[in-house]
Amino acid sequence: MTSIDVQDLTKEYGTKRAVDHLTFSVLPGRVTGFLGPNGAGKSTTMRLVLGLDRPTSGTATVGGRAYATLDEPLRHVGALLDAQAAHGSRTARDHLRALAASNRIPERRVDEVLEQSGLGSVARRRVKTYSLGMRQRLGIAAALLGDPPVVLLDEPSNGLDPEGIIWIRELLRELAREGRTVLVSSHLMNETASFADHLVVLGRGRLLADMPMREFIHARVQPRVRVRTTDGAALGDLLARHGIEAVEGEGGRWTAFDARVEDIGRLTSAAHLPILELASEEATLEQAYLDLTGVETEFAATPTTPQTQEA
Amino acid sequence: MTFAPALRSELIKIRTLRSLLWGLAAVLLATTAFSALAGLDDSGEEFDPLFSTFFGVSFGQIAAITFGAQAVSAEFQGGALRLSLAAVPDRVRWFAAKAVAVGSPALVIGLVSGGVSLAVGKAVLGSRASTLTWGEELRGAVGCGVYLALMALFAAGIAAVLRSGVATLSILIPFLLIVSFVVGGASGTVADFLPDKAGQVVLHENWDGALGPWTGLGVTALWAAAALTAGAWSMRRRDA
Repeated sequence: MTSIDVQDLTKEYGTKRAVDHLTFSVLPGRVTGFLGPNGAGKSTTMRLVLGLDRPTSGTATVGGRAYATLDEPLRHVGALLDAQAAHGSRTARDHLRALAASNRIPERRVDEVLEQSGLGSVARRRVKTYSLGMRQRLGIAAALLGDPPVVLLDEPSNGLDPEGIIWIRELLRELAREGRTVLVSSHLMNETASFADHLVVLGRGRLLADMPMREFIHARVQPRVRVRTTDGAALGDLLARHGIEAVEGEGGRWTAFDARVEDIGRLTSAAHLPILELASEEATLEQAYLDLTGVETEFAATPTTPQTQEA
Repeated sequence: MTFAPALRSELIKIRTLRSLLWGLAAVLLATTAFSALAGLDDSGEEFDPLFSTFFGVSFGQIAAITFGAQAVSAEFQGGALRLSLAAVPDRVRWFAAKAVAVGSPALVIGLVSGGVSLAVGKAVLGSRASTLTWGEELRGAVGCGVYLALMALFAAGIAAVLRSGVATLSILIPFLLIVSFVVGGASGTVADFLPDKAGQVVLHENWDGALGPWTGLGVTALWAAAALTAGAWSMRRRDA
């Protein structure tokens, strides 16, 4: 089993502690979203896993081994750290050829991953002519080059166009379905919610959460029901009588907390209140995340208030 | 993992960057062109026919150190090094591969430059080159190639320590152009042991310093080795 195991990992730069006694595992067969505000230590943790930075203390292993001891590591772990890693004056194909040669990966894999990332037609163009989104695709192609069982991607959706966002989402789901271990950092909540099964959340270098995404959301955000009838006041009375906490919004629309559509539908029906609108408001990852990190966010300028999302 | 795949990868990187190929072409061009020009000037009091033949090395070496510095500094742009070290995590092996990939094309182009300079220089000098023996000519041509390769490696090592091609060149070029020309006149001093001064003894028919042709190149090789060792040490020690 190829999991990523981070054990009591700490990294200090001078007096600043970027990663603080971090312990978690990333398991195969699912996409793990790696969340946290800027400067929370996500990228540092990824560099430590790849043996690029040296930990102050603790260990990070892939499949039980330190990355630096892996033979032909690109065949074990593929990583996208920085979309600017390819030299602008080289063609995408030459960039990948050099990378492939270092791990004795056959050259046909280069063309395969270029096709897979949608760069087949521009493979022989120099990287400096690429948009950020194309560079991002090239970085992902590099990560897939060795057909690795473990994939680490740092902000892969950066700069991608809508089509690219859908592509990366499908790709990540596919990689997890194939049984690979997939760790994807992001600060885009809706994006992460669309592909992650599991979450690891950091704040100021510390582990804030490590749990399935559904569980994470439901533990932090109450389900809500939005309801509107012809008689807002009567609806308010009805809800209050049944002990359902609710607030009135604009246009006679009520939002009931900790309730289900089934219950409210029955109540209004029994009370002969004509319903104009009845919908459950799905809790979003964004709400749950902001609830968790609100106090932890290092660079928050103003206190953040959760935005409700139209479900 | 063995050394060969890492070397193959580094050689591909050199071959696929046009600026590096131009750098190598400039070594050949500058060395031979300035050697030919030097042969036209016969006013010098201390005329050395062999050094006249290889005079262009003083200019070719600027191209050689630019090549060496750029080949390494390309890795310090935009996270390229992280990708390289993710592929080859053994940093000393990676840097050794980089050094061989820099040194071998520099040596080849240096030897070609030496051969062409010799042919052109002798043609321009005509009868004034008649004192040169076959052995001296061979020594000069081979020495020219080795010297240029060593200077490229010297620059590569320094670039790895400074992590910047611009910083490397802004130290080395003034050093070669000014320091060496100024203190270089004084023979028999510590200046004889400067990397360029020492290595260029091999290009002279007559020499009077502490170092001979091969010991001089040996001193330059020590400079290059020291720079590369410092580069490897810095590579090992620091976060990528």
